[in-house]
Amino acid sequence: MNIVVCIKQVPDTETQIKIAGDGKTIATDDIKWVMNPYDEFGVEEALRIQKAKGGEVIVVGAGPKRVTESLRTALAMGADKAVLIEDDGLYGADPLAVAKILAAAVKPLSPDIVFLGMRAVDDDAGLVGPALAEFLDMPNLSVVTKVEVGEGSVTVQRPVEGQTLVLEASLPAVISAQKGLNEPRYASLPGIMKAKKKPLEVKTLADLGLDKAGKAEIAALTPPPARAAGKTISGETAQELAANLAKALREEAKVI
Amino acid sequence: MANKYLSERNLKFLLYEVGQVEELCGLPFFADHDRESFDMMLGTALRISGQLLYPAFRDLDQNPPELVEGQVRVRPVVRQLLEQAGEGGWLSATFPYDHGGMQLPVMVNTACLYAFASANFSASAFLGLTTGAAHLILSFGTPELRETYVPNMLSGRWQGTMALTEPGAGSSLSDVAVSAVPTGQGHYLISGQKIFISAGDHDAVENVVHLMLARIKGAPAGVKGISLFVVPKLRPEDGKLVPNDLNTAGLFHKLGYRGCPIVQLAMGEAGDCHGWLVGEPHKGLAYMFQMMNEARISVGKQATAVASGAYYASLQYAQERPQGRPIAAKDPTQPQVPIIEHADVKRMLLFQRAVVDGSLALLLQCAKYADLAGHGEGEAKDNASLLLDLLTPVAKTFPSEMGILSTSAGLQILGGYGYTDEFPSEQYFRDVRIHPIHEGTTGIQGLDLLGRKVGMQGGRAMKLLAGELARDISAAGQVAELAEYGQRLQAALERLLEVTQAKQELAAAGEVAVFLCDATLYLELFGLVAVAWQWLRQALVAAQALASGVGQSDEAFYMGKLATMRYFFHYELPKAQGLADRLGESDGLTARLDARLFSD
Repeated sequence: MNIVVCIKQVPDTETQIKIAGDGKTIATDDIKWVMNPYDEFGVEEALRIQKAKGGEVIVVGAGPKRVTESLRTALAMGADKAVLIEDDGLYGADPLAVAKILAAAVKPLSPDIVFLGMRAVDDDAGLVGPALAEFLDMPNLSVVTKVEVGEGSVTVQRPVEGQTLVLEASLPAVISAQKGLNEPRYASLPGIMKAKKKPLEVKTLADLGLDKAGKAEIAALTPPPARAAGKTISGETAQELAANLAKALREEAKVI
Repeated sequence: MANKYLSERNLKFLLYEVGQVEELCGLPFFADHDRESFDMMLGTALRISGQLLYPAFRDLDQNPPELVEGQVRVRPVVRQLLEQAGEGGWLSATFPYDHGGMQLPVMVNTACLYAFASANFSASAFLGLTTGAAHLILSFGTPELRETYVPNMLSGRWQGTMALTEPGAGSSLSDVAVSAVPTGQGHYLISGQKIFISAGDHDAVENVVHLMLARIKGAPAGVKGISLFVVPKLRPEDGKLVPNDLNTAGLFHKLGYRGCPIVQLAMGEAGDCHGWLVGEPHKGLAYMFQMMNEARISVGKQATAVASGAYYASLQYAQERPQGRPIAAKDPTQPQVPIIEHADVKRMLLFQRAVVDGSLALLLQCAKYADLAGHGEGEAKDNASLLLDLLTPVAKTFPSEMGILSTSAGLQILGGYGYTDEFPSEQYFRDVRIHPIHEGTTGIQGLDLLGRKVGMQGGRAMKLLAGELARDISAAGQVAELAEYGQRLQAALERLLEVTQAKQELAAAGEVAVFLCDATLYLELFGLVAVAWQWLRQALVAAQALASGVGQSDEAFYMGKLATMRYFFHYELPKAQGLADRLGESDGLTARLDARLFSD
């Protein structure tokens, strides 16, 4: 069973995000880059399936050279090989273009399963998974919290409000991971040392015969509005306080 | 809970920019390592700290271990951590490959363990004890002992301890009384009591392995009659683990450091406690000092880590808490300012940072000496070994004693809130208090430094250290803004050397009691000089970086380094003068004081 995991490198969720001078991208000076946490669930699940069923786990990432660090992290967790599609302009590119590029890199690897996170924590688009499935012509199983691999098929669970959907699909399939799928392992020290010697293939867009031009572009990034100061309701008695509160809710907040 | 408990930026500054850890990769033992693998290891340690350890910081304090039906119970996070440490290879990281290790430099390992300890000191303490105990068995034990115990310990399934202290033998180890009677069957029968044994019993592991000092029947009195034994809680017998007549007689309730149990052990109550000799008879104390010296450095690291948590907690509070107005503009209609704007709050924050970063720099310096002493070559190896010996009591004590004062300053910044358990400051203050006590009290460290270390090999280690300082003082002389600080350090070093000589003359004149009566003050003076040196080293790197041009956030970082260095030289180092004045007097006030005068 060959499993491919597509990973994206994103700013650590503890990083303070600042908007760059162009008003369309984020300032990358002080960012600590990490593997998208949802993709980590994919790496972990792939390693667990590999342990049970054998085969190979290959991680694929697209972006600037720094993405190598996240690929090495996946190798240190236990993945066997890595592929980097290196291009400085890929971070923040149109998700459809990214999906097409990933599909071109993944297809020759002939995977039985392709894992990735249900969304990336930076742009929250959630587009690459379904688009990748489309480009690879595979079933798309999204927002998955449980995976059981059968003979030529896979059964997954997707939580929906108040219940769980059980979905079955033939393999190969694209599965996008939701929180709760598993607890990703930490890289071990021996794993880190071994990762240095594992193969990491670097490809360019030209190698794949593609470019990063997409149909959508980010017009502007704006920070969330600053929170206004709270208001203290005053009054001598409980009745007066309640009356003042009701007045404020009606006249100022206009909610009643 | 505060958002931050340590600075990754600072850790990397000290490791790479000041400590030049990558130099070590030129030594054959460390040849497989490089910056990339160090970064990944450090990154993983930081994740484990943030995701597993820090969330349990309060839990371990508020739910201390319990003794239930003879078994100590600890919180679940301890088992999670030990399993992780075993699977991840953290317990054996610095060991050679053929002992299952990763040949990681002690420097990098120190940085990783520092991350664990700053997130949760109590939880992190379990690890170092197992590593130190396993290292002792590997260094001096028989192949059979190694095979039986070490793999189980390094996988995190068996806990290791150091069992020295007894009800009647604390600082005075020469009075160890636990007895060992040979049986002629390869093992000894152990009987007696040990006390204050950290991680001495708990249910997060299958077994506990005590590295225990005991006296073989008929052995000479004093330190020359002490032997080292492996004494497990459960002993392997016919492929099973059976009770070894070693019982937990009591569990102590502590001021802080509450997540790690400290127990009293009773051995051989039924005459059936087996112990296995490690190395040769009567050499136990010398062997144990391998673990003890590692543990002393580790104490310094843990004290610094706790002080780091306290610093970032009070820093965050000071940035957020509005209170008062600028002292020169007390207009009550103006909004209040965050307390970090007040000079006295800045002074306390500078003090905290000066202690944390200065101590960590000294500890990483010692770690580098440990790496060179273990795996360096030729003269550099011998010199590093001497410098490490000399600085061990200093690297243990300065962070421990100053840790108390700096966590106290941190609590003070929070005012009344700091005194409550609504904020973490009070826990840091309690947690740090153990450090001047365990692994040799401050008093013992002072005696070790002045009584043994400064005079060893005719004072060679002192000369080497003075040479190390001279090199950095000379470098500071080439940088306009640092030359003054180089001179200040030079003056303090000269006072230290004068005091040392005067003290040694007292010793030569046979005035032993007067020679040693102020050894603790001598250690304090030594610590100020050593940490001032480390601040000058940091300032040299910061000044050079600023001169070469850096980005906005790096500029603030390096300028903060220079500001904290100046604080240390202007506020802390001057205390050296008062200490030197007193140490220059030889009246022996305390040594000669009649204890009967304490009648009131």
